[in-house]
Amino acid sequence: MKKNKSLFWLFALILVLSAFLAACGGDDSSTATEDPKEKETEADTEDATEGEPQTGGTLVYGIDAPPEGLFSSAFYGIATDAEVIDLFDEPLINYNENLEPVPNVASWETEDNKAFTFTFEEGVKWHNGEELTVNDWVFALETIADPDYDGPRYTNVQTIEGAEAFRAGEADSISGIEVVSDYEIKITFDEARVNNLTNLWAYPLPESVLGDVPVAEMASSEWVITTPIGIGPFKVDKIVQGESVELTKFDEYWNGDVNLDKIVLRVIDNSSVVGALQNGDVDMISLQPVSGPEVEPLENVEVITYPGLSYYYVGIKLGKFDNESQTIVEENPKYQDKQLRQAMMYALNRQEWVDAFFFGYANVVNAPVPSSHWNAADNSELNTYEYDPEKAKTLLDEAGYVDQNDDGFREDPNGDEFVVKFSHYATGNPTFESRAQAITQYWEAVGIKSELEMVEVNLYYEMVEKDDPSIETFFGGWGTGADPDPSGLWKADQLWNYPRYNNPEADQLLDDALDIEIVGTDQAKRAELYVEWQKIVNEDVPMLYIAELEEIVALNNRVGGVEYDVSGQNSPAEWFVTE
Amino acid sequence: MASSNTLTQQQKPERSLSPWQIARKKFLHNKLAMISTVFIFIVTALSFAAPFLAPFLSPIPDVSRVNIGSMNIPPNGEHILGTDKSGRDVLTRLFYGGRISLLVGFSATLMVITLGTLVGSIAGFFGGLVDNILMRFTDFVLNFPFLVFVIVLNTILRDTIDGVSVLILVIGVLSWGGVARLVRSKVLAEKENEYVLAALSIGCSPFKVIRKHLLPNVMSTIIVQATLIFASMIVVESALSYLGFGVPQSVPSWGNMLSSANEPDVLQGKPWIWMPPALILTLTILSINFIGEGLKDALNPKSLR
Amino acid sequence: MLKYTIRRLLGMIPMLILISIVVFSLAKLMPGDSLSGEIDPNNTDPQYIAEMREKLGYNEPLPVQYFNWITGFVQGDFGKSTKYKRPAFDVIMEKVPNTLFLGVMSLIITYILAFMMGMYSGRKPYTLGDNAIAGINYIMLAIPSFVAAVFAIYFFAFNLNWFPFGGSVDILVETGSAEYYLSRLHHVLLPALVLGAMSTASYTQFLRNDIIENSRKDFVRTARAKGTPMKKIYNIHILRNSIIPLVTFLGFDFAALIGGAIITETIFTYPGIGMLFLDSVTTRDYPTLMALTMLLSFLTLAGNLIADLLYGVVDPRIRLE
Repeated sequence: MKKNKSLFWLFALILVLSAFLAACGGDDSSTATEDPKEKETEADTEDATEGEPQTGGTLVYGIDAPPEGLFSSAFYGIATDAEVIDLFDEPLINYNENLEPVPNVASWETEDNKAFTFTFEEGVKWHNGEELTVNDWVFALETIADPDYDGPRYTNVQTIEGAEAFRAGEADSISGIEVVSDYEIKITFDEARVNNLTNLWAYPLPESVLGDVPVAEMASSEWVITTPIGIGPFKVDKIVQGESVELTKFDEYWNGDVNLDKIVLRVIDNSSVVGALQNGDVDMISLQPVSGPEVEPLENVEVITYPGLSYYYVGIKLGKFDNESQTIVEENPKYQDKQLRQAMMYALNRQEWVDAFFFGYANVVNAPVPSSHWNAADNSELNTYEYDPEKAKTLLDEAGYVDQNDDGFREDPNGDEFVVKFSHYATGNPTFESRAQAITQYWEAVGIKSELEMVEVNLYYEMVEKDDPSIETFFGGWGTGADPDPSGLWKADQLWNYPRYNNPEADQLLDDALDIEIVGTDQAKRAELYVEWQKIVNEDVPMLYIAELEEIVALNNRVGGVEYDVSGQNSPAEWFVTE
Repeated sequence: MASSNTLTQQQKPERSLSPWQIARKKFLHNKLAMISTVFIFIVTALSFAAPFLAPFLSPIPDVSRVNIGSMNIPPNGEHILGTDKSGRDVLTRLFYGGRISLLVGFSATLMVITLGTLVGSIAGFFGGLVDNILMRFTDFVLNFPFLVFVIVLNTILRDTIDGVSVLILVIGVLSWGGVARLVRSKVLAEKENEYVLAALSIGCSPFKVIRKHLLPNVMSTIIVQATLIFASMIVVESALSYLGFGVPQSVPSWGNMLSSANEPDVLQGKPWIWMPPALILTLTILSINFIGEGLKDALNPKSLR
Repeated sequence: MLKYTIRRLLGMIPMLILISIVVFSLAKLMPGDSLSGEIDPNNTDPQYIAEMREKLGYNEPLPVQYFNWITGFVQGDFGKSTKYKRPAFDVIMEKVPNTLFLGVMSLIITYILAFMMGMYSGRKPYTLGDNAIAGINYIMLAIPSFVAAVFAIYFFAFNLNWFPFGGSVDILVETGSAEYYLSRLHHVLLPALVLGAMSTASYTQFLRNDIIENSRKDFVRTARAKGTPMKKIYNIHILRNSIIPLVTFLGFDFAALIGGAIITETIFTYPGIGMLFLDSVTTRDYPTLMALTMLLSFLTLAGNLIADLLYGVVDPRIRLE
């Protein structure tokens, strides 16, 4: 799999993080982890093939990196596994095109955003024929809160009342969960939050088969690896590790008819994607930006794009974080000057850069909220930092960064040599180096001496996270998931606030936007606060906002019924193929 | 045949040619080997002259810069071999790449030969316990799956110091075993000769005997071996770089240039980016092999050509 | 012979122990652990990472870690793959058949091609055909396997569409059917050919030279004098003599295939242990990486041993003591 492996890792690591919300480590993290590809029943989308849905037929679904093989919502770790799970399993709660939760199997009621009552549909069947009940959800939540649980989802259960005690072994059950009947359940959180619901883990686990498996062994059990079951429209028939998964129509699917007889999911290496699409070997596959221009001219294939939920940035280390005390303990003097940071932003020709390295499948952003979120600020309210090297030079001159020894590069206001160190992660992908170097070249063009360091990807984020002194400015990406609240990535007490941005005023706005006392359930009011916050970080530029990506999908013309919006694809039950 | 010819042609038959002269004559008469030598010479010269040639080869001679405006240009009058995905001139890069590939190949070979000869000759000459210990160690090194360990070692070390030196060091340290074995066996055979005994009995130190008497006699074997190792070292460098485990990506080398063939659009749609390094790499290896063959023939007193 | 074999087998043990120490130390020296790569996917919180490190024993003293690993290893417990969250043994075993198939196919192709070309060249040396074969051989020896692989994919898979460009089998066919095996064969041919190219060339050359040499020997003259048809002389008398030394290469092939498989499998995205190995390096999946390195070292050792033993069988003079 050569470089593509690494290429893929990039994606796993950075890009497709949209698969998960950037949840944070704080105690009452308010960010949610949600699967991006939530299915959705309503549609507001582009459709590949018009015409009446047909029944029958096989659709070949491609993924460009082999799944790790953890086919369980509670245990999977990478986005490719999630893609597979999406074909055979469904969450209890979906998200609509505005990323608002909508009922799927479960509907809910709440009065105070603290206690929720969920009602399940009756007659929903697991693929093994057992009926889905609220107990399966309780089982999932308790599994995730179990001390032996070795997956990454605990943040999504943590906020339930009594989860901490359960995890510590002080309680036999989670006190906040109360089973009313097989179809009704009450869940109480430890406090009222605006986003309790979006943060909550909303996938059941089949207790009927996993119930006897010790939690520590669950991830390697056959019900996860070889014969996983779910409640989705297709059931898993056969898995060839690392190569393919065969799914067939589940006749007892609870939510309407299923068009296709079969979905065959196969791993298609990046180098083969274009050829495979051309030959019709694959009907449907997510593309990386680089393949887009190659696929667009193909006559039998339609390329569809929809807004993604991730953005790229160049972070600037402004301080050091102490994880024990969860505070920023030290300021890094080198980049404190706001004018310097703004000049670095003006120096970048972001549009040119994005066009060159993302082939038009990305848009320049000016604030750290992807534009499809309801709380994203409009560009008219922000400084758009149009490429303006002259302005950058003026700002640098004003800030005292001038060339004093005629070496062609500016010195800092004290007359000392000034070199911006820029770090980027290195995988096997040679374009990373090019695109990183292009950024340093922009800076050098306005007289800021820059040094590029490519850091092995396995070390990169650890160094960024630990505020390694060798990291000064750094390239990064975040996926935001369904919950648009940026607190987990921005507040001064958050480990994942990598730039170590420390602005109490901004933090206060974020807190207010989540405070049920202040905003109640009024989304417009929340949005206002978030926009206010975005104006501040847009002005302060603790990171240089670069671009948000589009998701790109290639569909063979014979495929129909597939729809996308920002929350992902629609239910595979609606897909069909024409012959 | 060659030697008898020269004898008849020469006016003063009493001054016969030295073995090295004979070898040179034979080598010069080997057309394939000579063409190869010239080719390698040209490639080397161009590679090392790259910084001076670059301004004449392309409008953007600086191969370390990314040029967003001129990416993926197919070959044309301006860019003879086109430009790559970072907008760098392929031809210029090819020459710069040759520098690294040849340098890595040459340095690694030097290291392998030095280490191998040292260990092999000491083991062969002294025999006994020394031989036993050294050969056990050689076996140990030989039994490592080479590629596996190169990859692991290089991953560990490459970020610590300059990536190119690390690679040379790693492949050098892991591949001297074969040479050591070969030299040892040659030395073993050679040291039974009376002249060695004579030299030792008149009080020559063992190291002097090795250096002055044994090594010159195994030199021809070493030289032939060195050529072949040179070729394989270039391959190792480029293969590792291709896989992403060789010299750092910022350093242009043929393997690194080839690694762009990993990208689907390049492999299929932009062959001008990956074909030149592929071809020049193959031609270089081919030439070195021919030179090796030629040397083998030339240095073999029994060969007739 | 038996004594020698046993001695050599016993000699492998200290070697393996040494290698295991080296492997372990290398793995520990590698920057980052499997979790440092995982920190980022953002599905993880720092507390989880810390807990996992503790659970995986990354915080214990090194000798203890080594001891735990090696005792488990000897009992067939390779540890749990940090990437696949399953026993590394299972992960590896899944890929072994593919690599084995590739290796065997490559050997078969190598032998068939080498025999055909070598015998032709040996019978008709210095003809046009011989020269052509020699030319092909030179190129096969010179072209690095990864370059050959790239060219092969470009021409045969993309441009001519004769072969698939990757994978080990077409997913759409029924497992176990005749079609299935044909598809597997179809997928393995191109990588096997590339993998075997280098040994094909050297075998051909060896066979050619050996046949020419043998054809000048007395027993050939005798046979001809007796009126044996030339065809029979070549196909039976000479060939039998030439095959024997060829057999001794088998052990070396074994070792060479391992290195070759890493490159070839990766380029052809053929899911075998070579690809798994590179994968485990990039993802810092130490249990898998260590187990694979041990496995590959063991196979190399075994290959070398087989080579030596076969050598002894074929040529009794080589036999030590």
